[in-house]
Amino acid sequence: MLKSIALKEWLKTRWFLLLINVIMLGSSGFLMLRMHRAMDIKGADHIWQVMLLRDAIIVDSLATLPMLLGVVLALVQLMPEMHRKCLKLTLHLPCSRLKTTSAMLFYGVITLTISFALCLGLMHVALRPVIAPEMVRHVLLTTLPWFVAGLTAYLLAAWICIEPTWKRRVLNLALTAMLLRVFFLSDTPESYNGFLPALTAMGLLTCSLVWLSVLRFIDGHQD
Amino acid sequence: MHSDIVIDCQHLSHSYGKRQIYNDLSFSVPRGRILGLLGKNGTGKTTIINILSGYLAPSAGRCTIFGTDVRHMPHHMRRQIGLLIEGHVQYQFMNIEQIEHFYAPFFPGQWRRDAYYELMRKLRVAPRQRISRMSCGQRSQVALGLILAQNPELLVLDDFSLGLDPGYRRLFVDYLREYARAEQRTVFLTSHIIQDMERLIDDCIIMDYGRILVQQPVGVLLEQVRQYTCSVPEGYSPTPHQQLYHPTVSHGRLELTSPIPHQQVAQLLRADGINPDELQSHPLNLEDAFIGLTGKY
Amino acid sequence: MKRFSQIYLSLLIVFMILWALPWAYNFLFARPNKTPFVLYSSLLHDFLLVEYSEANGHVRRDRHNNRYTEAQTDSLLPTFYMRLLVSNGRWPDTLMGQPVAPHDVQRTNFNFRAMAADINAPRVPLYFLQEAMPRRAELEMPSDVMRFTAQGVEFVDMTSNTIDPDKSLRYTKALTAKGFAFPPRYVAGNPSTHKDYDNGLLLLDARQQLFHLKQLRGRPYVQPVAVPDSVRLRHLFVTEFRDRQLLGLLTDSCHRLFALRADSYELVRTGVDGYDPEQHNMTIFGNMFDWTVRIAQPQTERYMALDATTLQLLDTLSIATPRSHAMPGMSFRSSTNPRIRPRWQ
Repeated sequence: MLKSIALKEWLKTRWFLLLINVIMLGSSGFLMLRMHRAMDIKGADHIWQVMLLRDAIIVDSLATLPMLLGVVLALVQLMPEMHRKCLKLTLHLPCSRLKTTSAMLFYGVITLTISFALCLGLMHVALRPVIAPEMVRHVLLTTLPWFVAGLTAYLLAAWICIEPTWKRRVLNLALTAMLLRVFFLSDTPESYNGFLPALTAMGLLTCSLVWLSVLRFIDGHQD
Repeated sequence: MHSDIVIDCQHLSHSYGKRQIYNDLSFSVPRGRILGLLGKNGTGKTTIINILSGYLAPSAGRCTIFGTDVRHMPHHMRRQIGLLIEGHVQYQFMNIEQIEHFYAPFFPGQWRRDAYYELMRKLRVAPRQRISRMSCGQRSQVALGLILAQNPELLVLDDFSLGLDPGYRRLFVDYLREYARAEQRTVFLTSHIIQDMERLIDDCIIMDYGRILVQQPVGVLLEQVRQYTCSVPEGYSPTPHQQLYHPTVSHGRLELTSPIPHQQVAQLLRADGINPDELQSHPLNLEDAFIGLTGKY
Repeated sequence: MKRFSQIYLSLLIVFMILWALPWAYNFLFARPNKTPFVLYSSLLHDFLLVEYSEANGHVRRDRHNNRYTEAQTDSLLPTFYMRLLVSNGRWPDTLMGQPVAPHDVQRTNFNFRAMAADINAPRVPLYFLQEAMPRRAELEMPSDVMRFTAQGVEFVDMTSNTIDPDKSLRYTKALTAKGFAFPPRYVAGNPSTHKDYDNGLLLLDARQQLFHLKQLRGRPYVQPVAVPDSVRLRHLFVTEFRDRQLLGLLTDSCHRLFALRADSYELVRTGVDGYDPEQHNMTIFGNMFDWTVRIAQPQTERYMALDATTLQLLDTLSIATPRSHAMPGMSFRSSTNPRIRPRWQ
């Protein structure tokens, strides 16, 4: 059954997943290339000094990208379900509705995680030969909250998308905007280190909110 | 599961905001019958389908399917309920092979792959053509094919004729009738195109705003319900009577529909000061009976 | 699951309201605190406060509410307004009874800032050790960075991103020879080419011992610094003031401020206490006669005047800075700590 759900989600999202990976790897790859070029032109020591003395982490422009991709993945995955209330078909499947919903969200979280991990891997591979491991760690730890924001944005967008009434959607959107703001409160590298485990738990637990939207859909709430 | 009553709804009430759709509605559907729920737009047909399929919590009352409350139905029981949602909606992003691969694992031991592909062969679509790119009729065939493959005990079909051209409608009706009769399946359906229903359904429920007008076998209904006409004096205004539906006077002729026998109608008219000697009764088909009972407006 | 989801949603809403409501209130109603500019005047033997209000404009006064004109203020703070006084031809021949040339003032004036937000910020544990005696006049940044491990020190060449084993061994040996215990607990320095000279690094080793490390003509210079047993050093700041009198400023676990003399390595306890670098921002305006130390704490600004020679306390002043109209609530940010976490403020 889970295989079938995965097949359905895959058919909806496969091209977009390809696009996500192209965008994530393309943009991080471009930033890596730009840094390598800057090292060639200005010298490696200049880049090291800028990174160590001026807190530059060279990949800042990636910050909101995972969040945007998370939102769009939720839309790509769930708009077809909400189109003419197709979700009724999914929830009519003879298996637990909670399990079905969880499987759909798990699919999204896993595919996003793989995509983000590939991006982190690419950065690690590109940075490790040219900067010290402490600096690689510094860059990657700084980017982690952005990726967690991507997963959280995906779950919260799913919550909004499945919600059957517009009034409630607007309220959900307001709470979503505030929750996602928490991920972007500081420009200081590694400033989320201590809070990140709690923030990750907070973000992943928002999957439980999606279940509330599903229950409201089942109860037939409408504007 | 082996009770003779497959669907049983008792004392259903529902309203959207302040607008009450119906109050204290009760009906049941016996095993092996094809029941059509007929009603004009806005009488709450889709609301009943939504309650029956568990997608709406009624304000009051209770619906059971196979003796189990639809709101708390164990998920495995949904294997025995085939659901055709409004507009024959299916996953548009799949093609006919993918959608069969998707559904089959959910129905081990009952999935009839051959029945599905047999119907699909009659469609002139490429196996890899996406459902979103199919015509409305082709989509409905896919939806029906999936329900036939699922082979459930109960089929719940919401407005099955929506968007279908006459040819496809006929094909769909014939397929469904053959299947339901041969497999002894129970079918609960709604449609706003009544002429197809006559070929298909055994029983009907005719709904007016907020209530059930008639619930009986179609044969009995067509046997009993007649259109009556007679001449009336100028200025005559009909007295309302529970058994005389929608009496109208046009150019000195009274026209009404009633399920009661000729003699009783004549008595009621005489009591109203009309000479019933010219009273004529005409048999009706299902569509005319429906309009006669529910009115044109 | 439904109950859990509802409780979780309620918690999130409460959490966000506790955060957003005070923020919105403070955003709309909070007024900036107008704290005066305060400097100690050795000529006046008192603090001079320059306040500004829209009603009264600039008001210059001492603690006894004696008002001063702008020109009087310039003369009462001659080292601070030296350029102005010189350009106006008002520079005195003597100050505090001794002849003072403008370049002496320039050489001995300094200002120093230590922000709690910088101290609490996460740092990459790699350090620059500059050449303190460059062959050419200007200071240069090194071509490598230092990393401390439990076994020693490693120099990583930035261009090749590889460890220089010879230099690493040389410095490890030099430090070990002086009794340095790896890894250090604290490393302080000011790597920059925009300074007059380089004082190298101050290190607290694994045993809490203080060391001074410099690179002189490519060779390590290591000097252990004697610290009284009663002092447990906590934070180190290397200073590179133009008069070259000091090596650095240090604080201990009792939040006392010490100065380390450059020539004698003498640790001098200053008159400043109650300074926690992790909580408070400190600025020092120093001149040849006195230092004005400002310690900004929540709701108070403390000013301490020190004698520039002995570093002993001359005078103190406290100014309350209550946060007007501020609504308490939850905040993820703090002015003294860039690390994000929920705080009740």
